[in-house]
Amino acid sequence: MVEAVTRTLCRLPLLLALLAFPSAVFAHRDDQYLQATLVVIEPSAVRLQINLTPGVAVAEQVIAEIDRDRDGAISQNEAAAYAKLLKRDLTLRIDERKLDLKLTASEFVPPAELRTGSGTIQMEFSAISGPLAAGPHRLTLENRHLATISVYLINASQPRFATVQITRQKRNRNQSAGEIEFTFHPFRPKIDESGARP
Amino acid sequence: MNQKIALVLIVLFGTGLNSFAQTNSTPGAPTAGIVAATKKFLATLDDAQRGKVVFDFKDEAQRKRWSNLPTAIFKRQGLRMGDLTKPQREAVLAVLAAALSPQGYEKILQIVEADELLKKSSGETMFGRDEYYVSLLGQPSATEPWMIQFGGHHLGLNITLAGEQRTLAPSHTGAQPAIYELEGKTVRPLGRETDKAFALLSSLNEAQRKQAILDFQMRDLVLGPGRDGQTIQPEGIKGSALTEKQRQMLLDLASEWTGILHEAVAKAKMDEMIKNIAETWFAWSGPTEKGGAAYFRIQGPTVIIEYAPQRLGGDATKHIHTIYRDPTNDYGKKWWKP
Repeated sequence: MVEAVTRTLCRLPLLLALLAFPSAVFAHRDDQYLQATLVVIEPSAVRLQINLTPGVAVAEQVIAEIDRDRDGAISQNEAAAYAKLLKRDLTLRIDERKLDLKLTASEFVPPAELRTGSGTIQMEFSAISGPLAAGPHRLTLENRHLATISVYLINASQPRFATVQITRQKRNRNQSAGEIEFTFHPFRPKIDESGARP
Repeated sequence: MNQKIALVLIVLFGTGLNSFAQTNSTPGAPTAGIVAATKKFLATLDDAQRGKVVFDFKDEAQRKRWSNLPTAIFKRQGLRMGDLTKPQREAVLAVLAAALSPQGYEKILQIVEADELLKKSSGETMFGRDEYYVSLLGQPSATEPWMIQFGGHHLGLNITLAGEQRTLAPSHTGAQPAIYELEGKTVRPLGRETDKAFALLSSLNEAQRKQAILDFQMRDLVLGPGRDGQTIQPEGIKGSALTEKQRQMLLDLASEWTGILHEAVAKAKMDEMIKNIAETWFAWSGPTEKGGAAYFRIQGPTVIIEYAPQRLGGDATKHIHTIYRDPTNDYGKKWWKP
């Protein structure tokens, strides 16, 4: 289910306070759009947990892509449209087979908070990888979203299932593209709650 | 420890010298000592202040309300240091002094003082020693779980206590500027972390470096504030591929975070790390020449440490963020969560 949430009203006092401190740039990145992706590989699905944090100097460019009617709020339709835009710029493959991504969760902060450089948009996309054959597999992810202003992080999440074993990760220099090699062992049980592998 | 600098920092932070003396008078402080210091702090407050500083231990929103960001951008709750009287601020510092090692306490004061300098250089009132907050989750107890939080810009200390067990995970340290002059001395709040990491890297042979050094840029912490519950696949060189001396160097580097807490519990954490050293990874990204702005990560079964210079402000070596986590026991949950 898509959950596009705007929280302008409850954050209003904070946002007003922020307007009084235009030099927030002292505290965090200013001219980059940080796109951090955690790749969660499960026996039959892949989830991409993406955190998007625009810096102060690029926030307007990012907001322009989201708040299309410029009313200072992000509607559900605008959130869904931006998710679609991001999805278009993502390519996920397993063993060269392109997977269809579906937005499964999202949380948008108001434009005013994004302008401070501290606001983070969270999105999760999922893809059914289908029944995987036992043995080695290769997942690749490419993120082309707003490439001229972005910096990227791509990391494989530590699997919660003993049936999935990450064997190698590779990225290009700026982490806009990553490759995760993993092995699927269909008959291993799930890792227990303590995180211990059998 | 450079005691002179520590004393100067305490005076600047608005307290007297007695608080610092306490750091040296409570070796191996049991939880009872921290409880006593906290009760003493609470006794300095009026009812309204006590109502603001103490939260329910089950308050998950407050437990997670910490950040690297300044308070004007990320709103804390609890009591603001700038709103306290001098005796009240002294009492807060006495709580920290009881809970932390002398080195850890000094590091915290140096981080706060760096922010005071940032306030002066930027002219922004959202920085500075007044903008740090203290809060408690639960009531101070030698037997029941409770928590001390102290944080602001570049600092998020989350100390969970459960009987004689204590953890600092998850906590954030950082500094901007990461090097400054005070009373004619150079202060580097995270200097030992930096130096020990470069020393470890330089001890690696070519084959080991090929494993340890990641060939891509790391522009930020992966598991920084707000990333509770996430764990990434470890990378770099595994402890089992290090020599005994290099393992000791890795443990010594990690002790800059584990050793922030008082020696009694820091030793228990270090014993746990020693047990897991073969399964502990060290990864590096960025310049390998000493003094460069490089990222590194230590990741083992019960610890994740990241150190990430921030490009903002020109010289990334002068603006550093770090994170300390325990993927099995953030917020001490294994001691109290059913």
